[in-house]
Amino acid sequence: MSALKTPSSEPYVSRIDRRTTLAWLGGAAAAGLAGGAEILAGPVAAAPAVVAGQDRHGYGADPKLTRPQPPPWPRILSKAELQTAALVCDFILPASSDAPSASSLGVPDFIDEWISAPYPDQLRDRPVILDGLRWLETEALRRYQTDLFNAPPGERSALLTGLTTKPSDPALAAPHTFFRTFRSLTIGAYYTTKPGFRDVGYHGNVALASYPGPSDAVKAHLDSELKKLGL
Amino acid sequence: MSDPYDVIIVGSGAGGGMSAYALTQAGLKVLVLEAGRNYDPSSETPMFNLPSEAPLRGSSTPDKPFGFYDATVDGGWEVKGEPYTIAEGSEPFMWWRPRMLGGRTNHWGRISLRFGPLDFKPRSRDGLGQDWPITYEELAPWYDRVERLIGVTGRAQGLENTPDSPEGCLQPPPTPRAYEAFVTRGFNSLGIPVAAMHAAVLTQPLNGRAACFYATACGRGCSIRANFQSTTVLFPPAMATGNLEIRANALVYQVDLDRTGKAKGVTFVDRVSGEHHSVSARSVVLAAGACESARILLNSKSAAFPDGLCNTHGMVGRYLMDSVGASASGQFPALENLPPTNDDGISVGHIYVPWWGYHLQARKALPFPRGYHIEMGGGRGMPSMSLGAMLSRQEALSVGDALREDARRIYGSYIGFAGRGEMIPNEDCYTDLDPEVKDKWGIPVLRFHWKWSEHETQQAAHMVKTFLEVIDRLGGTPTPGYQTDGKKAISRGGEIIHEVGTVRMGHSPEDSVVNAFGQSWAVSNLFVTDGAVLVSSPDKNPTLSILALAWRSADHLAGLARRGEL
Repeated sequence: MSALKTPSSEPYVSRIDRRTTLAWLGGAAAAGLAGGAEILAGPVAAAPAVVAGQDRHGYGADPKLTRPQPPPWPRILSKAELQTAALVCDFILPASSDAPSASSLGVPDFIDEWISAPYPDQLRDRPVILDGLRWLETEALRRYQTDLFNAPPGERSALLTGLTTKPSDPALAAPHTFFRTFRSLTIGAYYTTKPGFRDVGYHGNVALASYPGPSDAVKAHLDSELKKLGL
Repeated sequence: MSDPYDVIIVGSGAGGGMSAYALTQAGLKVLVLEAGRNYDPSSETPMFNLPSEAPLRGSSTPDKPFGFYDATVDGGWEVKGEPYTIAEGSEPFMWWRPRMLGGRTNHWGRISLRFGPLDFKPRSRDGLGQDWPITYEELAPWYDRVERLIGVTGRAQGLENTPDSPEGCLQPPPTPRAYEAFVTRGFNSLGIPVAAMHAAVLTQPLNGRAACFYATACGRGCSIRANFQSTTVLFPPAMATGNLEIRANALVYQVDLDRTGKAKGVTFVDRVSGEHHSVSARSVVLAAGACESARILLNSKSAAFPDGLCNTHGMVGRYLMDSVGASASGQFPALENLPPTNDDGISVGHIYVPWWGYHLQARKALPFPRGYHIEMGGGRGMPSMSLGAMLSRQEALSVGDALREDARRIYGSYIGFAGRGEMIPNEDCYTDLDPEVKDKWGIPVLRFHWKWSEHETQQAAHMVKTFLEVIDRLGGTPTPGYQTDGKKAISRGGEIIHEVGTVRMGHSPEDSVVNAFGQSWAVSNLFVTDGAVLVSSPDKNPTLSILALAWRSADHLAGLARRGEL
């Protein structure tokens, strides 16, 4: 497992555009939310799941597909929580020699978009992520007498590394589940961007005059693998 | 609107679109009533749009169950204000409905397989189900015409009950992708032949339509008209005849009869204004989808038909069928670290596995009487949120450069297998009107009754067994979560979205609702041209057959009109 190459030393700056900000501020106002701070302080409430086409904060059954509008639901992460999320994102996918970090692609904002959404899958992840972020900050304070952002990078890395394997300590079971979920969301969000496509080796979504099929190099690789399988 | 029309067609999907195409070409004045909104694929299709532009990276939600970019408008498993119910004690049933011009042809899978000679005579084959009133040979010329009109890939392969098309009908199939070449060797080593996919996607230009440019999933629809949708292939030429009018947002709920007992038109509610209208015509064609067409008949009650139109023998809504579905997937080390390639292709599989066990079933060597085919998905498709789940199946969760390496290795190394099998009609699977529940306009809704029989659950178990065998043969590891018990492996009724058979055709009014031309036995100027008329539900996906049957029925209707016999 690689150590952090580029420990976050800069605060996370939200990557969402103005259009999105206006949309979710409008949504937050409509929902009567002043921001995410209260959510951090209080117990996480599971909102009722949306029924198809019936929730005012869902995008409905006939959204414009060619130029999607920003998600209409209000975002629930506070600035501090978003900062914690950015640190975890960049622990999972820091910049590499030829690919950008997760936070530079706005993945923390996507996590916020995801857990704020009014749909069942996302509502299931919401308490897992919120409780996990809260646990991380509580734990940083307990272990290092500071928040996660100001903890020494090595210590921060040690804290997060402790969540990458299934813990024997039952107290760490929930934080591990948080990390597993958070990592899965981070991977999904990262590799569904253009830089992610390049990094993972997705070469499609381009118009071709004809479909060439596998190259000679691919065929040779397959033939050697099939030979190993006795085929 | 200027009635009376020659023909009113209810619905604009495969059956309605093809009926409109054929009847307007024959010179008849046609009105198409579509329950959903108007829809324009040329301006509304998200060609090339990225997951990162969509909410939740395009993941499926209750608002868009097949993902944000799926073409379906105002529908899915639920339509607001238009419920359906499941009878007490029934197994689950799901009903996919869009509310848009072109219906489900906008997002469908494009797999276009001809039914074979055995498929039209199932009762003669093994004593189960019912024989059709037509043979393969009678429908074959219509399959030829449909393939030439819409464009279908494929190649003659000489496989049993898997008809080859005459020269000049099919378009060249695309070259198999790397994983498809790989999995072909696995199936072949088990003695199972693999065939080129028959897909309604152009690989060569046709009738002014461009060929596929091998990008952007077909399920989004296609603004360049390279795949088949009613809205891109059938309505433009129908409109050009000057004989077609289309009215959107018109939810038909009743066929109206005149004093002689013939159909004089239909009544619908405008889904936007809530107003009710009646419109008249010399004949009526129902093509609202198998279940909705049955609902219209059941809701058309009169003194002569107290239990619903054409339902004197209680057969409307009976013999409801879907395809049997089961799936499994595997991860294949042999596919790891393949040099990256563009695997987009025609978005649907370039190959499939036709049913190979006819000889085994002929000597009763299998515990289920009917066959299935296998569809596959894999390769380096456009990444989605599911990549996260694929990379979560490790003991120690990697991060950083190790994670990047894992992602490059795992991505493209999975193959998913899905079986699609024939269901035999049974007495427990049908739809009727719910005695209490009504939609938002006060119209009684459908209630579904469903129960798979052992014919289907045994088949589903065999599907999974086959998938596990080929995964093992190719050195793969099955993804956890697969089910070997057929009762658990089998899809839910309706889930495969191949519901057919509720207004079946037959030899006489005693065994069917309509004749071999989809013409109602009870009302001679009332026709049904959607999947409702199917007598059996072969493993082959039904759309191509619905198109062929609809064209044949419309041609018959036009002949009657020409001779003044309507």
